[in-house]
Amino acid sequence: MRRLLALSVALLALALAVAGCGGGDDDSGGTATGGTPSGTVRVIMEEVPDTDIVKSLLPEFQKEFPDVDVQVEALPYDQMRDRIVSSFLASDPTYDMIVVDNPWMYDFAKGDFLLPLDDRITAAQDFDHEDFAQPLRDIAEVDGATYGVPFYNYALGLIYRKDLYAQAGLTPPTTLAELKAAAAKLNTGGRAGIAMQPQKGYKIFEEWGNYLFGAGGAIQDADNAVVLDSPEARTALQEYIDIYKASAPKNSLNWAFDESLRAVAGDKAAQMISYNWMLPTLNKADGPAGKLAGKFALAEVPGGKSILGSWSWAIPKNSASPDAAWAFIAWVTSKQHEKERVIAGGAPVRASAMSDPEVWEQGFGEDYYTTVASILEDAAPLADGPNAEEMINVVGEDLNAAVAGQESVDDAISSAASGAQETLDK
Amino acid sequence: MLRRIPIGYRFLTPLAVVFAAVFAYPFVYSLWLSLTNYTITRRNETRFVGIDQYTGLLDNDTYRQALVNTFVFVLLAVSLELLLGLALALCLQRQRWARNVTRAFLLAPMFVTPIAVGLMFRFLLNQQIGVIPEILGTFGLEIDFFGPDLALFSMVAIDVWQWTPFMVLLLLAGLESLPKQPFEAARVDGASRWLTFRSVTLPLLKPVIVVAVLLRALDAFKVFEYVFAITRGGPGTATETIQYQVYRTGIGFFRLGEAAAMAFVLVAVVLTIVVVLFRRLMREAT
Repeated sequence: MRRLLALSVALLALALAVAGCGGGDDDSGGTATGGTPSGTVRVIMEEVPDTDIVKSLLPEFQKEFPDVDVQVEALPYDQMRDRIVSSFLASDPTYDMIVVDNPWMYDFAKGDFLLPLDDRITAAQDFDHEDFAQPLRDIAEVDGATYGVPFYNYALGLIYRKDLYAQAGLTPPTTLAELKAAAAKLNTGGRAGIAMQPQKGYKIFEEWGNYLFGAGGAIQDADNAVVLDSPEARTALQEYIDIYKASAPKNSLNWAFDESLRAVAGDKAAQMISYNWMLPTLNKADGPAGKLAGKFALAEVPGGKSILGSWSWAIPKNSASPDAAWAFIAWVTSKQHEKERVIAGGAPVRASAMSDPEVWEQGFGEDYYTTVASILEDAAPLADGPNAEEMINVVGEDLNAAVAGQESVDDAISSAASGAQETLDK
Repeated sequence: MLRRIPIGYRFLTPLAVVFAAVFAYPFVYSLWLSLTNYTITRRNETRFVGIDQYTGLLDNDTYRQALVNTFVFVLLAVSLELLLGLALALCLQRQRWARNVTRAFLLAPMFVTPIAVGLMFRFLLNQQIGVIPEILGTFGLEIDFFGPDLALFSMVAIDVWQWTPFMVLLLLAGLESLPKQPFEAARVDGASRWLTFRSVTLPLLKPVIVVAVLLRALDAFKVFEYVFAITRGGPGTATETIQYQVYRTGIGFFRLGEAAAMAFVLVAVVLTIVVVLFRRLMREAT
């Protein structure tokens, strides 16, 4: 028995030694050099319409850069970050280029996983970095260095049924009180006044954040301190709960964005607060809304300041082909290709595309693009700083508990605020 | 050196190597992780913190709630699955016609991947577009399946739907392999059906039941997909389970050290239960 034990220990030690040998070669490819870039660029993206649009642009890129082979792997959102993080930690990376969601940006940059792109951006010809909407550029900047180039935005807006609004003699609400009244008025037997997404965690915070801004509150101040424990936050949460109880579909406490979209597309709800790029999807002739296509419009959220989400292109530090990856990023985010992408239905990030009459005409109409532009003028992400993802979840748990009636509004807000601050300080 | 090891043990070498690589190494490594403050995004600050991660869990309310939820879930789900599974197995054993077809149908839920089952029920139970609330509505019933009171029980129901077939499979195999003589003896003695079931079937089937319950319980402790697909642990913390929390802490919030400690506490608890159960079974068998 003792010999067997000794043998297993020896084998275990061997296994440990073998496994430990993995992380040797660390020298990633060369730095930015001149000449034509070449190589394979493996990129991870989300399974969303915007990714399909980028894929459709690939043949054009291939013509200009025959030596660069871009391989897109599209995954559902929930799987992406796990894969990205394992690729960061691997000695032999899975991805040479990634897209980064805004709550991850700070931690990824601080964890020393991303290449700073400032020099490449400055060196790129006719790139005009200032043309990207300011709040989107801010997200990609951590401690003065730029780690990403905006890919597409998912700022939130109010998506409503024009026909129902007209019938009821309503105009898009500019205050929470007006939203409440409009939702109540449009709430009829078979159709809810508004579809909501009170699911615990990210979803409810993403939606409620707009209510918070609408009530005049804020999540963090200029120094990133949490200022959530405010009378405005309490008002906002109370309004949210009132609207949920009076006008949202029954028993929709676990609803996320998918259910809301289905409800609105299926004529089961009159409006929702959702991603601005849902509008082209809903209004598309062969889209999910069927015969209702064309009846939807986008407005700013009540109060005018909305929650901002954004995806940025970035290059991991351990990328095997950073130069080829940059060649693609610079190409796809250039003014010209941004325009093509937006016309095809992609969510705009450049001011030049949003104000281009050609885009209006061939895309989804002047109204849509000017509304997106004004949404982007005043929009802020859910969290800025370390542990953003966790902070969002902490707040989203208390909000959801308050809507479920497990916590009072007062308790939920103070617990959310202290939890958020603790998380940022961790 | 190898020569001195008896040949029998030498034959064990391939298994030992595989075992060390796929089980022992990750196990020891995660045990080590649980004693550090390892955070993926702050690898440079990693240091040994002793049992801090474990003591930290003591005042983690959400973790305690998740432990309670997980145990309630396992207890309810496995008991229901056992009762239903046993009833179904007894019926199937007596069935004369179309046996294979019935069995194939009954076993089907087991072959669906749990994440798909989660998504399926998320929409089947949706008040606005789901078919189940629609049917209930015709009877004037309205149930908030994922509200604060029922959410955990809805998860139990989903688990029962998916895994009762597993119980049926094991128990049916057990029933069909039972010796015939004790039943014939009981019939000769004029025992009623109920008495036969209680005094002959159940005792004979006991080892199979224990194994089935154990397998099912160990699997139920891993409940993750339904929570992930449907409620994300909500409303509030009503459906927060250990595995979901370990995933969120380790992968979502990057704190692998803390997540490892959470997982080890569960491992310790589950191992204790398994050992106690097995001991009792062994004692009864001898």
